Amino acid sequence: MGFDGMLTSGKMGMNKRKSERTSTGTKTTPAERNIPPVLQIDDLSIHTRADSSGKRLVRNLNLTIQPGEMVALIGESGSGKSVTASAVTGLLPAPLSMSGGRILFQGRDTATLTSPERRAMLGKEISVVFQDYAGSFTPFIKIGKQLIEMIRRHMGWNKTTARVLATQALEQVELAAERVMDSYLFQLSGGQQQRVAIAAALMLEPDLLIADEPTTALDTLTGETILQLIDSLRHKTKCAVLFISHDLHHVIKRADRIAVMYGGEIVESGPTDVLVREARHPYTRFLLQSRMDLADVPARLQSIPGEPGAVSACGCPFALRCPVRIARCDSEAVPEMMVSDGHTARCHLIGEAQGDLGAAEITRTS
Amino acid sequence: MAGFINRYAVWIGLGVWLLLAVMTLLGPYLIPHDPLAVDMGKRLQTADATHWLGTDHFGRDVLARLVAGAKITLGLTLVAISAALLIGVPLGLLSGYVGGVVDAAVMRVVDALVAFPDFIIAISIAGILGPDVTHVVIAIVLVKWIGYARVVRGTVMTEKGKAYVLAARVAGTPGVKTIFRHLLPQALPEVLVLAALDMGKIILMISALSYLGLGAQPPMPEWGAMLNDAKMMFQTHPVLMIYPGVAIFLVVLGCNLLGDGLRDRLDARGEW
Amino acid sequence: MLGLIGSRLLQMIVVGLFLTFATFVLMKLAPGDPVKTILNIDDVAVTQAEQEAVRQSLGLDQPLVVQYTEWFWRVVRLDLGESYITHRPVADLIESKLGATMTVTLGGLTVMLLIAVPLGILSAVYQNRWVDQLSRLFSLIGVSLPSFWLGLVLIYWFAYQWRLLPSMGNGGLMHLILPSVTLGIAMAGVYTRLLRSGLIKSLAEPYVRAARARGLGEVRVIIVHALREGVLPVVTMFGMSLGSLLGGSVVVEMLFAWPGLGKMVVDAIIQRDYPVIQGYVLCTGMLVVLINLGVDLTVRMLDPRLRWRS
Repeated sequence: MGFDGMLTSGKMGMNKRKSERTSTGTKTTPAERNIPPVLQIDDLSIHTRADSSGKRLVRNLNLTIQPGEMVALIGESGSGKSVTASAVTGLLPAPLSMSGGRILFQGRDTATLTSPERRAMLGKEISVVFQDYAGSFTPFIKIGKQLIEMIRRHMGWNKTTARVLATQALEQVELAAERVMDSYLFQLSGGQQQRVAIAAALMLEPDLLIADEPTTALDTLTGETILQLIDSLRHKTKCAVLFISHDLHHVIKRADRIAVMYGGEIVESGPTDVLVREARHPYTRFLLQSRMDLADVPARLQSIPGEPGAVSACGCPFALRCPVRIARCDSEAVPEMMVSDGHTARCHLIGEAQGDLGAAEITRTS
Repeated sequence: MAGFINRYAVWIGLGVWLLLAVMTLLGPYLIPHDPLAVDMGKRLQTADATHWLGTDHFGRDVLARLVAGAKITLGLTLVAISAALLIGVPLGLLSGYVGGVVDAAVMRVVDALVAFPDFIIAISIAGILGPDVTHVVIAIVLVKWIGYARVVRGTVMTEKGKAYVLAARVAGTPGVKTIFRHLLPQALPEVLVLAALDMGKIILMISALSYLGLGAQPPMPEWGAMLNDAKMMFQTHPVLMIYPGVAIFLVVLGCNLLGDGLRDRLDARGEW
Repeated sequence: MLGLIGSRLLQMIVVGLFLTFATFVLMKLAPGDPVKTILNIDDVAVTQAEQEAVRQSLGLDQPLVVQYTEWFWRVVRLDLGESYITHRPVADLIESKLGATMTVTLGGLTVMLLIAVPLGILSAVYQNRWVDQLSRLFSLIGVSLPSFWLGLVLIYWFAYQWRLLPSMGNGGLMHLILPSVTLGIAMAGVYTRLLRSGLIKSLAEPYVRAARARGLGEVRVIIVHALREGVLPVVTMFGMSLGSLLGGSVVVEMLFAWPGLGKMVVDAIIQRDYPVIQGYVLCTGMLVVLINLGVDLTVRMLDPRLRWRS
């Protein structure tokens, strides 16, 4: 376990609670202070082909991230969340392409960037931490060399200065910097590898960190320390985070806002506490329900019906699995509807009593 | 252009072989000249109505020699590849299916030979047994069976463990039947691709050794040997070295296209 | 590491024993009488007694096993016998020719790399685009061209028609160009395709995506990060296809009258100079094993994962 265990008792873990409150705080939101959002995704669609003839992976997605904010994008595998992240970085794998909408980073349409401009932005203003930590650095080159390479690429510093920053960055994630600098990636443990990836991602103090399931491939304990690390470092560097996960429970504790994806659509989004209290979409309610305290209601716990990932071609994507479906759900597309301030959902039954989702009922409704 | 080639690779390759076969079968009837008939009065003539491609330094008709060369190339290559298949495939089947001592023995021989550059083996054998085209064929067979033994053995080893083969065994199907019914067909695509590509290499090897004077001996109208003849007059009569060279190139290209195309179609592995 | 070298050395001994024995036996079975070759008596009458004298002096009247054992121990002491024709020690002969063969082989390798590396990279990066299609066409033509014919064509134009380059013998850099180009083009096709497929595979690796996500320029991503792994199969293949290189050098040496091992062995074969043939086979065999050891070590150097696993 080595370094992984040290963080929980480390000082970073201790003093972070306070700053967390201020960013989600009650006084003024960045929007009210008239600061443009870090990331604004409008009506994004992604298809498997260049024109819109291919399979649609993401449809009409809207998402905004304010400076310093942590937004979680939740969904099953195949729901389009990672593809959305790739679209933001401009690193969509070859057959996929954006077929509609726009992505504004710091108010600038990323589609207008030339590819050198995009590359200059990546790593410096937008950083990515991948799920596959073993593939986060080239296995043939020592880590130190790759960190220095990255710093010099963006900052144009000499080797010595770059080395100082790289060392500091590794110390920030509580690694034995000198030893790690002189190691190849495969010589480190999984948790250590992910720490190096986080160190690299936050080293140049980007405005946005995209964390694409950074803990999925790690064991629970290591994953938890990695999450704490991201959380504390984002407060330190005032970096906004787009946190992608398939696990709602993982993010409730830390995200300021949550967006739930199903079948390429954001079916519901809102501030974390609001969403937890008054989820309106049946899918979100299922997700929350499966989180409920096991000791209280073991009998009521149930999984979401239907085949995971089954997406209805027209109408509501969740229609095939929804227990409260009505006729309209199969045919009629659902517009994004405002539930309350900042809380939106896409469900025809949003205003109506959806009633029981099956064996269990939602206990903590307000 | 390249896209066209990709699409029709197999057909172009087959076409070349068909052309070769037609030349072999019909050539003697279409061309009224003996490829070996020396006529010193008609040395090194340029192309005309009687000698479509002219004559060489012995007054022999070049076209007749080219066509006769096609027969030699076709014949030798087919003999060599068939022999290599007949040795390599059964040994591979046996080695993979029986395993144990048989496998170990076959693989030791394979290892010893595979460490060895095939052209060098061919040269050594041609050298030891003396320069002759038969010796070249022997050398080629000795080198080329290895590839088939390895490919077939590999396929058999992976397929052997699969459920359907085990089921056949449990049902009491005789080993021979299992081999021919289930295992051999699995190995066939890769064997075919390898054979097509190998034919190209064999043609190159035969002609190269003949060119070096270690293969076909004069006056045999083998293409490589013809090039060796043409070399002496290449300053005065460069056309003479064009024909056999282009002939070798086209036939080898046909083999490679065939192998390439088959690999794509049959979804098999293999590189030139 | 030491284990690897040890097993390679063992392989070398096994291959050496196999080779010496095989060549030895085959030579004995071969048609033609070396004694007659030495005395060159195809047209001159030589007495039976004279033949027997030569036979005895060479030990050719001894049983096969005795001959082999004696010969083998001499080989171990690097005494490969004498050429029947020139009466020079074979070891000296090989030593004097080895340099020339190395030169032309390295020249060919250089030309091959100059073609295959850029073309392989371009066709991997622009996969299925026109560069790739063109390089495929080029590779197809390259592997289908008989190298001896290509050499003749090059000689005809560059040496004879345009008189730009010398075509015969070894006399400095200018003499090296045509042989190297001939050898290089013949090999470039295979290696271009190999590098292409290796690079396509490594470009799909997650670490390449990560390098891009760190904002590195595409050229840097390809050359510094992806190429290393893409080159591995090429290096491995190089060890395996050394045969085509040495074989190719035989053809090229004959074409350009290059005074190397290849020309030496072809001349020896035609003259039935058995000790020289034997020496050549033995020497190339050892060379192949040695180079394979070099290839193994190179792959290890390129891929630290292999180094640490052992």
